Amino acid sequence: MPEAPTPRLVYDALLITSHNDFYKPAVAPRVIGLGLGAALIAELVLSGHLDVWTREGSKLVCSDRGAPPPSDSLGLWLIELVRAEPANLAVPEWLEYLALVDIYAKTAEHMAVAGLMVRTQRRTRWRQRTQVAYEASDALTAQAPLARMRRYLTALDTRMSLVDTFLLALTEAVGLSRSLYLQTPARAREYAEAHVRALPAPLQTVRGHLAAAVATTALTGNL
Amino acid sequence: MSTPPAPPSMIRSALARDKLGTFSLLHFSLTAATPLTVIAGGVVVMFAVAGQIGIPLGYIVIAACLWLFSVGYTTMARHITNAGAMYAFVSRGLGRIPGVAAAWVAATSYCALQASLYGLLGLTAQSVLERIGLDVPWWGAALVAWLLIGLLGTRAVDINAKVLAVLLSIEIAVILLFSVSNFLHPADGVSFAALSPSALGGEAAGAVLALAVIGFIGFEAPTVYGEEARDRRRTVARATLATIGILAVVYVASSWSIITAVGDGNIVSAAVGDPDLMFTLAGDQLGSAWGTIGEVLLLTSVTAAALSFHNTTARYLFALGREQVLPARLGRTSARACAPVAASVAQTAVGGVVIVIWAVFELDPLTHLFYYMGTAAGIGLIALITTCAIAVAVYFARDQRDEPVWNTRIAPLLACLALAGVMWLSVIHFHTLLGVEKGSLLPRLVPILFAALALLGAGWGAYLKQVKPEVYAGIGYGAQATLVQSAEPEETAEVAGGR
Repeated sequence: MPEAPTPRLVYDALLITSHNDFYKPAVAPRVIGLGLGAALIAELVLSGHLDVWTREGSKLVCSDRGAPPPSDSLGLWLIELVRAEPANLAVPEWLEYLALVDIYAKTAEHMAVAGLMVRTQRRTRWRQRTQVAYEASDALTAQAPLARMRRYLTALDTRMSLVDTFLLALTEAVGLSRSLYLQTPARAREYAEAHVRALPAPLQTVRGHLAAAVATTALTGNL
Repeated sequence: MSTPPAPPSMIRSALARDKLGTFSLLHFSLTAATPLTVIAGGVVVMFAVAGQIGIPLGYIVIAACLWLFSVGYTTMARHITNAGAMYAFVSRGLGRIPGVAAAWVAATSYCALQASLYGLLGLTAQSVLERIGLDVPWWGAALVAWLLIGLLGTRAVDINAKVLAVLLSIEIAVILLFSVSNFLHPADGVSFAALSPSALGGEAAGAVLALAVIGFIGFEAPTVYGEEARDRRRTVARATLATIGILAVVYVASSWSIITAVGDGNIVSAAVGDPDLMFTLAGDQLGSAWGTIGEVLLLTSVTAAALSFHNTTARYLFALGREQVLPARLGRTSARACAPVAASVAQTAVGGVVIVIWAVFELDPLTHLFYYMGTAAGIGLIALITTCAIAVAVYFARDQRDEPVWNTRIAPLLACLALAGVMWLSVIHFHTLLGVEKGSLLPRLVPILFAALALLGAGWGAYLKQVKPEVYAGIGYGAQATLVQSAEPEETAEVAGGR
């Protein structure tokens, strides 16, 4: 099993939420969108490009810490969208929007360029429409992010990085707790909770809104 | 100098295009109501139990009460989260401890109402199967339906909604066909006696009103989708009002049509002698095949009703699990379908246990399961709606929130009075509803059980306030509970220190 993470949080989030195998199912499409939206926002918060005003309605704002623009088009796209808004919007609105505009396809396309995904195209038999699908180029790479999370939860002796802690919180929030904690020691949840509680406030806010959006999806059935 | 208007938000414009309109919300609420079950399974029983012809008037009275209630209810829904659950309104209006009490009563009532439908479902399926020469015990048929509902309940609600929508369209078409046929075959001409105020009175008035309320359950569904509505101010209110209006028209027309077809003086004895009166009339007037079609549709309608109540109960248990008011495990979603899987399985387990108990002890599925348990659940739901009406009035009495006086003061107050009256009549006439002697144990036991349940819920709420203030702070917030619970400790303590 490869140990090296994919280069980005949002890539790991895509593999965790959308890859389907014996050990872990893919989550519902809308939940994938919500999870990837949260991962992209968290990535840009961690890189100092975005900030979340936690005490003012969870507004997502461009950071004034003077970080250079993101070097990739995915991050740049979101930054430009945030900048273009006449008023600051709240995190839930951004999550909903990112799920709506198919952030999965955008991220998967990026990963295809990076060689992590393979893009396949086929025409449907009856309606003659072109369907695009993305598969992980390597099954082991696809399983790597969850395997890494589970290794932390089994060993319980390593301090997790902020990125991995957020990824763990994201995995739980999208409903994959069962795959995450299967056959881990009894203290695994306690260990995870301690790490998640230590996340900075903006990331806590993003995580909370992601969990709330997933729960709302379950209540309304809007998939 | 006036400031120029802010440029439009591209993000909000994109999100607005994805929102639900009035018809989408109406579809959700009508599919939750399943009118054929109410008419074929309930109206004929109402004639028999109440022994009077004022059923159409009862539906008009309850529609008016619920319309008054819906004015304040949908207005308050704009200002709170988790607006799909009535206990959330109670939490925000009367406080978290009454909120937990209401949640316990709500979850138990919906759960009991859903389980009670397996009695009717099993009997209807048994009757349909007998027509094709299959002899199946009622509980065998009920267990098959139970399995189907259990499976659909763990899938995405979207699949369920499509199934329910097809069934609803056929149901309404058949109800209208049967009603028109009844009016075209009057026993003594079209009579207006059923709409006279004197037609609804005596010891049975409470029974009629209580059963009428059960028929409208589902009217509250549009508020579940409040945050996804195109215009939160208008769409939800319009859909709720339209649901009450459409159901009222269908129920009044069909119950009145049955009276017209049988005659004012004969309807009670006909209903007592033939629980399938609606289908017997259809068979006589339109041909025997229509009676069979009606019975098959009743089977699908009761299945749809059981599925709909299964989803409602699962949503309640899921929201309470998310808030950790009930075990947090109930707040788990299934990975693939994002359905409230643990809550759904819990409800399925309760339904299964009920069917097995009734089968093992050879209890009557119609009287003891469908009727006794269903009407008992109805009392719980009337208590829930009445408490919710009081919560709405109190919420707006504290702060009108720039809403019109009619929506925040007059309508909620009138709704409180009207629903309290319905509640009072239902409780004091509950013996009529159950068909037992006045002063018997059972009619007194049911309100006492609900009161005890509410007290236990309140006690649990008080315990959470003392021992788990972060959980207490999230009561009534449903899906958003984790956000409130993970707020700064001083904020949580502040919330817990309040109501």
